[in-house]
Amino acid sequence: MLGLTWLRGLLTRRPGRLAAAAAGVAVAVALLASLGSFLAASKATMTRRSVADVAVDWQVEAQPGAAPADVLSGVRGFAGVERALPVAFATTTGLQATVAGSTQATGPGVVVGLPEGYRQVFGGELRDLAGAGAGVLLAQQTAANLHAGPGDTVTVGRAGLSPARVRVDGVVDLPQSDSLFQKVGAPPGSQPQAPPDNVLLVPAGRWHALFDPLARARPDLVRDQVHARLVRRLPADPAAAYTTVSGAARNLEARLAGAGLVGDNLGAALAAARSDALYAQVLFVFLGLPGAVLAGLLTAAVAGAGRDRRRLEQALLRARGLATGRLVRLAVAEAALVGVLGAAAGLGAALAIGYLAFGTASFGATPLAAAGWAGAAALTGLVIAGATVALPARRDARTATVYAARQPLGRPGRPAWARLGLDLWLLAASGLVFWLTSRGGYQLVLAPEGVPTISVSYWGFAGPALLWTGTGLLAWRLADAALARGRGPLRRAARPLAGGLAGTVAATLSRQRRLLVRSLVLVALTLAFAISTAVFNSTYRQQAEVDARLTSGADVTVTEPPGAAVGPQAAAQLAGIPGVRAVEPLQHRFAYVGSDLQDLYGVRPATVVDATSLQDAYFAGGTARALIGRLASQPDGVLVSAETVHDFQLQPGDPLTLRLQDGRTKAYRAVRFRYLGVAKEFPTAPRDSFLVANAGYVAAATGSDAVGEFLVDTTAPPQTVAGRIRARLGLQAQVSDITTVRHVVGSSLTAVDLAGLTRLELAFALLLAAAATGLVLALGLAERRRTLAIAGALGARPRQLAAFVWAEAVVVTAGGLAAGIVGGWLLSAMLVKVLTGVFDPPPAALSVPWTYLVLTAGVALTAVAVAAGGAVRASRRAVVRSLRELV
Amino acid sequence: MTAGREVLVRCDGVARTFGEGERAVVAVHGVDCAILAGERIAVTGPSGSGKSTLVHLLAGLDTPTHGTVSWPVLGPREGLRPGPVAVVFQGPSLLAPLDVSENVALPQLLVGVEEADALAGARRALDRLGLAELATRLPEELSGGQLQRVAVARALAGRPRLILADEPTGQLDHVTGTAVVRALLEAAGLLGAALVLTTHDPTVAGLLPVRWTMADGRLRQGRAVSSCSA
Repeated sequence: MLGLTWLRGLLTRRPGRLAAAAAGVAVAVALLASLGSFLAASKATMTRRSVADVAVDWQVEAQPGAAPADVLSGVRGFAGVERALPVAFATTTGLQATVAGSTQATGPGVVVGLPEGYRQVFGGELRDLAGAGAGVLLAQQTAANLHAGPGDTVTVGRAGLSPARVRVDGVVDLPQSDSLFQKVGAPPGSQPQAPPDNVLLVPAGRWHALFDPLARARPDLVRDQVHARLVRRLPADPAAAYTTVSGAARNLEARLAGAGLVGDNLGAALAAARSDALYAQVLFVFLGLPGAVLAGLLTAAVAGAGRDRRRLEQALLRARGLATGRLVRLAVAEAALVGVLGAAAGLGAALAIGYLAFGTASFGATPLAAAGWAGAAALTGLVIAGATVALPARRDARTATVYAARQPLGRPGRPAWARLGLDLWLLAASGLVFWLTSRGGYQLVLAPEGVPTISVSYWGFAGPALLWTGTGLLAWRLADAALARGRGPLRRAARPLAGGLAGTVAATLSRQRRLLVRSLVLVALTLAFAISTAVFNSTYRQQAEVDARLTSGADVTVTEPPGAAVGPQAAAQLAGIPGVRAVEPLQHRFAYVGSDLQDLYGVRPATVVDATSLQDAYFAGGTARALIGRLASQPDGVLVSAETVHDFQLQPGDPLTLRLQDGRTKAYRAVRFRYLGVAKEFPTAPRDSFLVANAGYVAAATGSDAVGEFLVDTTAPPQTVAGRIRARLGLQAQVSDITTVRHVVGSSLTAVDLAGLTRLELAFALLLAAAATGLVLALGLAERRRTLAIAGALGARPRQLAAFVWAEAVVVTAGGLAAGIVGGWLLSAMLVKVLTGVFDPPPAALSVPWTYLVLTAGVALTAVAVAAGGAVRASRRAVVRSLRELV
Repeated sequence: MTAGREVLVRCDGVARTFGEGERAVVAVHGVDCAILAGERIAVTGPSGSGKSTLVHLLAGLDTPTHGTVSWPVLGPREGLRPGPVAVVFQGPSLLAPLDVSENVALPQLLVGVEEADALAGARRALDRLGLAELATRLPEELSGGQLQRVAVARALAGRPRLILADEPTGQLDHVTGTAVVRALLEAAGLLGAALVLTTHDPTVAGLLPVRWTMADGRLRQGRAVSSCSA
């Protein structure tokens, strides 16, 4: 009964206190539950996106000695298989075509036999480029190699048989050639097989007419597969989906009893998504968990703002004989009320956020996960309410005397952690952990062309966590010392605000320093969190753009087919296309460095730096302009990778002999170069080692000035210019644009994860910044209404009362900003380093999102101004009314 | 009776009502009175009789709903506090973040006195009341009686002409309360200030020569020396 009366009294007489504490709990619960929504949405998105682009779910290859028809019936009869069609592969000795009097011949290739209806079932496997979409189709690269197109005749070489002639009906692109031509049954972890350079696709009937004789004579040159599409009823969680699909694939293999091996394309895609899901959880730990901790601290601060009044009330109750046990139960009841209200509001807000931001109103990818997340978030809210409301009351009731409980301020002594130097120990530990864990590096690799490997060290999170905590405590120590011992500077600083009251204001600030320092540290931690999250996100976007630039090479890149003899003068043709500003030819050869075959890029040193926006980070030991300048002054110079320098123990100026293919004889010959420096990245260059040399020297040494790529700088939208170039060149060359590449990079599962998480985090950071500054300040000032009312009763003018308020606001805000900026900068640098595996390529410098940071500072300052202004206005109310309310 | 002595405060038909309509409470019904320089007046009455409201009106802390309160020789209402009028409140009224000397000096600082001079004046006021040893203590370190005596010292530091004490002994025991009143009377005597003290304690009221009585918001004359009617 007393409990209900007490709660009723709190609701009617202290609604603000309850609402503020419940709001703090709600923010913590909403953030945690929203993160659950994010994880649920991202996992479901990962599963959906990863399987959407898989054209052929399973490629079941008949093993030697097995009847293809038996394999086909086995696959069709397997539960879960929606459609299955037979596909045949044959190896050709080569293709040849004579077009316009010119004969082109290729090396060995593959001829694929597609059954009728294949494109209706597995439409994503082929993309029409020219001609009819059925019949005899040439792959794009093959068409370019043969200079052939629809209507041309191609001669197909067959080992031990006479060549066959077919008429080309169309040209297609094979966007999933990697999986189409995979080596089914390769050991796990083995290098992926590169797709063949030359591919011809024919109707199944034609294929059998051409290659059944070959199959009898040389069965090793043909193989049969069954391409299957599964019923796509997959669990939302990628890990569960992967288990389902891969388990079914193993089950099919068991049923086929060795007659067929399954190339599990769907499983491979889900494996990558599963890795992405793990990666999302890693990001949650590194970036999301601090936000939840911060929300909890904020709730503690909000609840703590009413602690003194709560203590007085409890002291009054104890003085009137209420037993300690009943007192504690009243506190628990208040905590429960705050926790339940806050958890309900927080879950409701999280549902709304999840629906609006991620399109899902669920807290988990599965019902069990959703219930778990919601329960965990609500439980966290209850724990926070209990820790901030009930626990202090219990501690006071059991340890403090009634007299002591009625004392509002106290002369603050040094807390135990300060005496032990905990802040310094934490910072030292942070540095040690960072040094130890950074030495091993972090492997968060998402490799689209290979098996993604993830090596995550959760221990690495200890470094940033210790730094965050340590800087907070150090800020506490420094602010406390400044307010305790800096009365003189405080007085001087307060004089513009307080005039003759500067000494009084300084004394007030000094003696209330525990309250002020707590708010200051909360502001600092919040700003550090906002800054580090924003800088990490901005740096990631910066590197994604760099990655797109490196991958694409330029706004538009025209890649000549292998063996093409297009010289640099062709750049003039491209330069005349509307929307083209400049064209930079780039030689692309292959050179043997010892026994290692590397890509060699021949550049024009005078123009390549500006034309390709080469970054200093691409090179080591100097700027881009400096390193390329060395090439200009040393015609036989070459820039190599760090790995090559290490393997050959090179020193600057050392001779380096490379073997390049002579353009006339096609034979490889030795060419002497001189090592000048290290190139770490280069536009269009692969991740492996590569070489950069003078185009003129390479052309003179090899007798060929053939260009590999033309890097095109545009004035019009790159996609538009790319379309114009394709129209001009036809199928002679491959044209790519940075917009498409940027979309590919930006729509990677990793980027989507990070974008969603940081969007949520940055929004909450703004909310937390406003709450940590304005709300906590407002609550603190509200608790000091009595002080202001008494001063007003003594005759203080409104301007004098305002001086007390604004001095406190300035101390908390300025100190919090300063500590937050320093802490945020340190945390940003550490986070970027710890998560360096996320970036591709790793950043040379942080990217600072000034707009967001200014916005955050603006939100904080506005919240402070509103809170302080409200307190000043409240202090101007009739003094008597204030005193009556407070007695 | 008023010949030769200045009228410090005059009330003409003063009334104060709180709230509106059915919930309106008339705390003070039309009061006509005058407080002369150097008077010692005890205002008695039960709780809720309007004593505190009357004190607030006399101090300029509140404005009457009807009638006028004027301070013929003390100046305009805006300049009364801190200045010629000092108020001693019932409950603890020291600012918690300031020590005793800073609390006592505060009214002087509010009117622009230099900090050093204000603190010197505060020390003198504390000396006068035998509280010098409490100068560096914080309010939470003082007993109830010490708090009220420091509040008295704060009131005296500005050398007021009128001291209004609203139930200064309300939260004190009898002995301590009597000591506080004696300190008030002594200090008022030293300054030549008028003293108006509200109390529900007849013993305390008996220490002052003039007694006004409030009941249901109306001022009734008891052993009144100055003219006052309602």
